[in-house]
Amino acid sequence: MGNALFIVWRESVEAILVVSILYAWIRARGDDRIGVGHLWAGVGGGLLLAGVLAVAMLGLQSQLAGDALEAFQAGIVFVAAGLITHMVLWMRHHGRHMKRELESGLANAAGGASAALLAAIAVGREGAETVLFLYGLGVEQSGEALRQMLAGAGIGFVLALATAWLIQSGARWLPSRLFFRATEIILFLLAAALLVSGVERLINMEWLPPLLEPVWDSSPLLSDGSTVGGIAAAFAGYRAQPSLMVLIAWFGYWGLVALLGRLPKRAAA
Amino acid sequence: MSFTRPAGIALMLAMLGAPLAARAEMPTFQIVAENGRFTPETVTVPANTRFRIEVTNRNAGPEEFETSNPLKELVVAPGVTRSTVFPPLQPGSYPFFGEFHKDTAKGQIVAK
Repeated sequence: MGNALFIVWRESVEAILVVSILYAWIRARGDDRIGVGHLWAGVGGGLLLAGVLAVAMLGLQSQLAGDALEAFQAGIVFVAAGLITHMVLWMRHHGRHMKRELESGLANAAGGASAALLAAIAVGREGAETVLFLYGLGVEQSGEALRQMLAGAGIGFVLALATAWLIQSGARWLPSRLFFRATEIILFLLAAALLVSGVERLINMEWLPPLLEPVWDSSPLLSDGSTVGGIAAAFAGYRAQPSLMVLIAWFGYWGLVALLGRLPKRAAA
Repeated sequence: MSFTRPAGIALMLAMLGAPLAARAEMPTFQIVAENGRFTPETVTVPANTRFRIEVTNRNAGPEEFETSNPLKELVVAPGVTRSTVFPPLQPGSYPFFGEFHKDTAKGQIVAK
């Protein structure tokens, strides 16, 4: 029961946190071009994606099919990283003065679709594992043991919601301007983390060389297997033993964000 | 055009072939997941060398082979064999576990 509780909590809390951050970001922006409705549509799509991914993982009977799915999963994290970056940067530059322009209808559709797609990817990625785990329980357990495990899973999900709620209400204590900046930075960190996990998948499939690994070993300081290290890994792309390729991707990403964040300002000036 | 196309195809074949060649020469170790456990529970690998772990799942349900240092996750459907590549490891012991059978599925990779 404890195991079921923990797995469901951990997997759901990651997805719920991403959705909460998006929610907070949408609310903090204070206009309605990206609506909360888009977010819920995305969550719904994400649950569907989780089911489809889980079925695909179960149906894979060969290494080749496994590689294809691995490539697909790498693809969606790159799409998600790109979407986050685009969405945050675009809103930053056009957020204030585009409100009354004619394009706002189109902007609304594009921004809303990005938010929805992001929520769907977050929920789908994390949810697929939970679906697989619960399926395994159903196949391998029965009677009282199964009932206890399912109860554990239910409690885990409720605890994940409670955790997200705690963070949301805690965030209200921050001044809204500061909070908005914070959500932007968290979204960028999240994009970097997604990029790192995608690059690692490509290295694992030998589509990219690791170049040099590990460049350093900070696991005595903060192991990515520990709880804090795990959070740093999922939300910032932290690795205790990073390969040079991963470092290039991580630092390259921040370089790109800094560059893209600066370019339009210069053009406007 | 007629010259670039064969060159392009040759390049594509070379790109496809290179990973296959690398795959063949990498040290590979088999682990079987069955009844919520892994066999063998200790896998000895060469230190400072990339290697491959192949997991065959004979459980009724899916299993996720996982190590937290280095971070690796491999979901394996019942009746399926999948593999994952590990980076070169310093000499030492690296625990692995089955995420879906956490109480019983435990073991370690020992790099020597």
